[in-house]
Amino acid sequence: MLELRNIDKAYASGRKVFAGLSYALEDGAYVAIMGESGVGKSTLLNLIAGLDAPDTGEIVVDGVAVSSLDDDAATRLRREKLGFVFQAFHVLPHLTLNQNVALPLLLNGAQPGFASERAEQMLTAVGLRGRGAHFPRQLSGGELQRVAIGRALIHHPKLILADEPTGNLDPDTARDILMLMRDEIRSNGASAILVTHSRAAAATADYVLLLTKDGLHPLPANSGDRPRAGDAGGS
Amino acid sequence: MPVGHKRTLSRWLLLGEWQAHKVQAATAIISIALGVALGYAIHLINAAAFNEFSAAARSLSGQSDLQVRSAQSTFDESIYPLLARHKGVELANPVLEIDAALPGGDEERKRAPLKILGLDIFRASVMAPDLIGIPAEDKLFDILADDAIFLSPAAMEWLEVKQGDLLQLRVGTQPITLRVAGGLARVRAGQRLAVMDVGAAQWRFQRLGQLSRIELKLVRGVDRSAFKTELGQELAARGHFLISETADQEVRVANMSRAYRVNLNMLAMVALFTGAFLVFSTQALSVVRRRHQFALLRVLGFTRSQLLRQILVEGSVLGATGSIAGLMLGYLTAAVALHYFGGDLGGGFFPGIKPSVNFDTSAAMVFFILGLGVTLLGSAVPAWEAANTRPAPALKAGSEDVALAKLARPWPALLCLALGGVLTRLPPIFDLPLFGYLAVALLLIGGIALMPRVSALIFSAISVAASRHGSAATPVLALARLANAPNQASVALGGVLASFTLIVAMAIMVNSFRVSVDDWLKHVLPADLYVRTAVSGDTRGLTPDEKNGIAAVPGILRADFFRSSQLMLDAGRPAVALIARPIDITDPGNTLPLTSDVVPAAQLPMEAIPIWVSEAMVDLYGFTPGKRITLPIAVPAPDFVVAGVWRDYGRQFGAIQMRLKDYQALSGDLKVNDAALWLEAGITPEEVIASLRLFPFGQALEFAEPGQIRALSLNIFDRSFAVTYLLEAVAIIIGLLGVASSFSAQALARRKEFGALRHIGVTQRQILGMLAVEGALLTSLGIMLGFGLGWCISLILVFIVNPQSFHWTMQLALPWKALIAVAIALLLSAALTAVASGRHSVSGSAIRAVREDW
Amino acid sequence: MPFYTHRPMHIGFLRHAGGTAVMGIPLRSRLIALLLGLLVACFAATPPVAASPPTFPHVRQGVPLAFPRDYGAHPGFRTEWWYVTGWLETRDKKPLGFQITFFRSATDHDPSNPSRFAPRQLIIAHAALSDPAAGKLLHDQKSAREGFGLAYAKQGDTDVKLDDWNILRQEDGRYQTSITADNFVVRFSLTPTQPPMLQGDNGFSRKGPHAVQASYYYSEPHLRVAGTVFHNGEEKAVTGTAWLDHEWSSEYLDPDADGWDWVGANLDDGSALMAFQIRGKDGTKVWAYAGLRDANGRFTKFAPEQVNFEPQRTWRSPRTDATYPVGIRIHVGSTVWSLSPLYDDQELDSRQTTGAVYWEGAVTITRDGNPAGRGYFEMTGYVKPLRL
Repeated sequence: MLELRNIDKAYASGRKVFAGLSYALEDGAYVAIMGESGVGKSTLLNLIAGLDAPDTGEIVVDGVAVSSLDDDAATRLRREKLGFVFQAFHVLPHLTLNQNVALPLLLNGAQPGFASERAEQMLTAVGLRGRGAHFPRQLSGGELQRVAIGRALIHHPKLILADEPTGNLDPDTARDILMLMRDEIRSNGASAILVTHSRAAAATADYVLLLTKDGLHPLPANSGDRPRAGDAGGS
Repeated sequence: MPVGHKRTLSRWLLLGEWQAHKVQAATAIISIALGVALGYAIHLINAAAFNEFSAAARSLSGQSDLQVRSAQSTFDESIYPLLARHKGVELANPVLEIDAALPGGDEERKRAPLKILGLDIFRASVMAPDLIGIPAEDKLFDILADDAIFLSPAAMEWLEVKQGDLLQLRVGTQPITLRVAGGLARVRAGQRLAVMDVGAAQWRFQRLGQLSRIELKLVRGVDRSAFKTELGQELAARGHFLISETADQEVRVANMSRAYRVNLNMLAMVALFTGAFLVFSTQALSVVRRRHQFALLRVLGFTRSQLLRQILVEGSVLGATGSIAGLMLGYLTAAVALHYFGGDLGGGFFPGIKPSVNFDTSAAMVFFILGLGVTLLGSAVPAWEAANTRPAPALKAGSEDVALAKLARPWPALLCLALGGVLTRLPPIFDLPLFGYLAVALLLIGGIALMPRVSALIFSAISVAASRHGSAATPVLALARLANAPNQASVALGGVLASFTLIVAMAIMVNSFRVSVDDWLKHVLPADLYVRTAVSGDTRGLTPDEKNGIAAVPGILRADFFRSSQLMLDAGRPAVALIARPIDITDPGNTLPLTSDVVPAAQLPMEAIPIWVSEAMVDLYGFTPGKRITLPIAVPAPDFVVAGVWRDYGRQFGAIQMRLKDYQALSGDLKVNDAALWLEAGITPEEVIASLRLFPFGQALEFAEPGQIRALSLNIFDRSFAVTYLLEAVAIIIGLLGVASSFSAQALARRKEFGALRHIGVTQRQILGMLAVEGALLTSLGIMLGFGLGWCISLILVFIVNPQSFHWTMQLALPWKALIAVAIALLLSAALTAVASGRHSVSGSAIRAVREDW
Repeated sequence: MPFYTHRPMHIGFLRHAGGTAVMGIPLRSRLIALLLGLLVACFAATPPVAASPPTFPHVRQGVPLAFPRDYGAHPGFRTEWWYVTGWLETRDKKPLGFQITFFRSATDHDPSNPSRFAPRQLIIAHAALSDPAAGKLLHDQKSAREGFGLAYAKQGDTDVKLDDWNILRQEDGRYQTSITADNFVVRFSLTPTQPPMLQGDNGFSRKGPHAVQASYYYSEPHLRVAGTVFHNGEEKAVTGTAWLDHEWSSEYLDPDADGWDWVGANLDDGSALMAFQIRGKDGTKVWAYAGLRDANGRFTKFAPEQVNFEPQRTWRSPRTDATYPVGIRIHVGSTVWSLSPLYDDQELDSRQTTGAVYWEGAVTITRDGNPAGRGYFEMTGYVKPLRL
């Protein structure tokens, strides 16, 4: 599904983030990545999404080498194969919930009527049944993130990138959202990378990786409920 | 992506944005609409007036191929049979054109003479059938009658006469009475025109043996230009004849008002430009405000070009809507203005016509494209910036000013300013100060583009100074904001700057002009009382006996008499005025408002006759001081030397003054038109007027004291600049709209900032105060910089545009009081606008504002 | 000659045709001429502001004509014309008809106006060519005020000019005329073969029931024509026989007059016939006259009651809807003269430019049924209704 091959990346300031980072994510895996602030979790996601390019090395998403794509091709890749969930939700304020959720389908060329119908189903799935005509300003934070999850999954992406999806939410809401996200990702058959600080959040993943200066390492499932042992990838 | 779905998405995004920011969208549309409307309306009015005027002028010469006229207003009829019989001439149509003075009546009527064409019906009916008088059914012979005059409908209305009435006119001091025998076959609506038999006209108007022009229709197949050359050589021996084609006449008519029309169009362009700037700032701010959204769209799969297109579509919808609204508004304005005020926008170039507005499709296209173009241009820069921003960092907050920084590189601005400076050194092209206008535009663009730098520098300095002195919280906050986010501030500043610059420039120019005219009037009106035989028209004149009679009236210390007439030196240009009067050759400056360009009397050649020319003569005919020239006022043409240059704000097409005795000796014309009277001490003008009225011709004299002439002249001056004031008002409105739109846009963008401030204990009132201070500070800076920029532009207007357009120079005079008043008004309204537009976002919930990420 | 027929309608010419003023210059239908005459009389009732119109002398009986003086113009009289009509033959024996007319008309313009442009005298000219091959008339007209040597009618002998149209009588009595019309050019020399024929009482010709309704009138019949006609790009030499009328007067038609018919014919035996009738509004005869001079110069004058016009055949103009009696029988004393046109459509229709409409054409003439000669026939006042 995803393969990182020998990634080197330094910030504009010159500080090295990754040196020879390699990793492979199998299809259908739901993995959490933890790590200290500034270690490069978000940068990693940006690299995978084609929003940033590694200095050397290769990133392959679903058989496509992202780092070799030009901006338009990378954009198309994001549009078709990736889904995003952000800490700050990033729901467009002037579009209705239905329009927000339907957005990726439209970007992928779906009929507006079909997109709207699917968006309504998606809203139902994320627990916002019948609220398609509402605007984001009428929603709470948890509800906004549900919208974002709906938007991330509506076009059946292969890979979901979630960057601290519960960082702005209270613990109860966070738990609900994490469960919802996992269930929905599973039922859509997508893989997912969940970047988080929260052990509780990480615990919802199939397995947890720790990002350090030296690379990605599997974290032993010591405190999570239902940890699923997996190979600590790395090659 | 299939087109239809992309459109759906595009529409969602557009509608969502505009519904949320109605004010900004509306301001952008209104400012574009105002700019386009003003430009289009002025164009339509000018075009309608000009077309009507030239059609009316053209209709006077019918379908002739060539016109023969002389340098003076009339010539001896003896060449008529010569031309009529000339090989190659199929028909010769003799015309005597008379501008007849109307006795009495109100001021307005007195100002304009009645144009009378003396025609030979048998020739004119072939050449210009539209100009044939239509007699009553039972008085067909009236068409040849010696007492009949035929009036166009507009002339009848103007003179308040109808068929069968008697019409009083005046020749010199003699009244004459004609019978209104009917109307004219077909004249243009509003055209004031009279036609009578040429023989009757020569007799009644004391023009025996004189014609104004002879129109020629050539035999088919004769080469027009060759014939023209040949005829020119033949006629050279018989006097000073100008042979012109109909095209020359149109050129002359066009030349008459061209500078004026171009000037107005340029002013309208400035308004459009200001509107464009506003659209630019609206779009730039709105793009900046939506950086997160655009970044998100990029992450979700919007390509660069899709995003670019999205923003440009947004701009073009605004631009197209604004332009179409502007075209409609402009058309409506033009129609209303033409209906109520006629085609004359105050310049006095198009009197006596009634043009109707005509939807000019090609001009509409041009203005539509201009409106759309400037909007797209305004959108293109921020769109490009948004599309090329890396989405990931843009998703983070606080990067707005970085985005605008790209727009604030100083080099293009400095380049504009430098180029503007260079362009001021260039000469006019086609008699138009095109480089001058370009320099004005470049200075405006450069000045505005330089704003971010300047405001950052100034506000940082003030901010540092203020914090050192421990000022109150509100100003500190405002200053910090202005100093640290100078680019956003400067966008708001741009509108103020553009409009105030324009106001300052125009105000200084108009004031300089007015002061110069006022001084000039004082100089040219030294006498106590002025007498004229008629206000206008070429039929006037006092005979030598009448003249001596006036001079001998007791109480008159000195009487100077003037003879003015028209000389056509170039068939492609309007006639110049020739004024003969007593001039002291040793001290011409005593009589004439001379510039420094004077040849001292001692250096003048003894045998040459001196003339003094207006500045326009130097520019248009190259009559530089010391030059030897000939003037066609006698046969053979006598030699003259240009002895000096004088200022003339009255006649932009040129004027020549010479000594009356020289003129009379050369031309044999002993009549005079006007007199300037100096009175003995203790004698009032009223007493002298009373004595002069006792002459048999006394009722035909008109009297004016210098004060009255001055008041009247300045009144006319002010009226001719009324349109300018209107343009200034529109510029102010657009400038304030700019303030409103940028502050409301910023205030919305700054909701989070305000929320945070509220959290840390800043009151709503303090936030509003901060906004007011920001607005006032920005506006003050805008005003100060606008004053500097406006002053520079006014220098261009005063010293380049005016001399090149109208051929007169003037001294610079600053209208301080008016400028300060406008500045204060602008300051207050900008502060109020800032507060008003900020109030909405401040009043929202503080908690909500903080939590929202955009 | 058809006196007032073509009494120069100098100016009128503007008439509202279909709402638009149509401007034209000279000859309007004689009806307008008539009207004008009446109106000039009314004119006196509304005196102009400053003008003092000239007065014109009456035509009086018993004033003998004196030649060559009376060949020339008589500017003191209101109206005058030289009117030439005739039959031509080209080298290939094709017949053509022609008409050349010069009018002089004095206006009411104040005679004290010293301007050289003062329109005291107007010169109007009219030319037409009847070509049976064309089937209709070619015609053109011109008008101008006298002056500047561009247009004049000189006194002393016939010498009338209007730009490049002119007629001039040489000392040997021969006339030279040259007309450069819009669509044809003619240059003729007309040589008299007989002395002038004084109409009426030694040149005094009554036109109506009142004594002042009269003109001075002489004709020059049997003029031998030689010259060229340039038309359609080809120049043809022509010869033929013409008839010249010279008539001047100040008085106008009887108010009841509505139209008239006139014929002038050069007869094969050397005699000359002129006859006219003036019709009233009801179509009846108001006045009539005939004069016949035989080859020996014996002149017979017929009184109104001895002259009767009797229509035989009519032709209806498709243009104007007017019905003209193109075939006509004229009873003069005991003789019956019968006229048949060279072709029917010799109507002169210039309503689009000048408004004049009349029939003026070449005819052959029989005397009591026997071919007698050729002439010109004119009919006016047949176009109805006239908008006035």
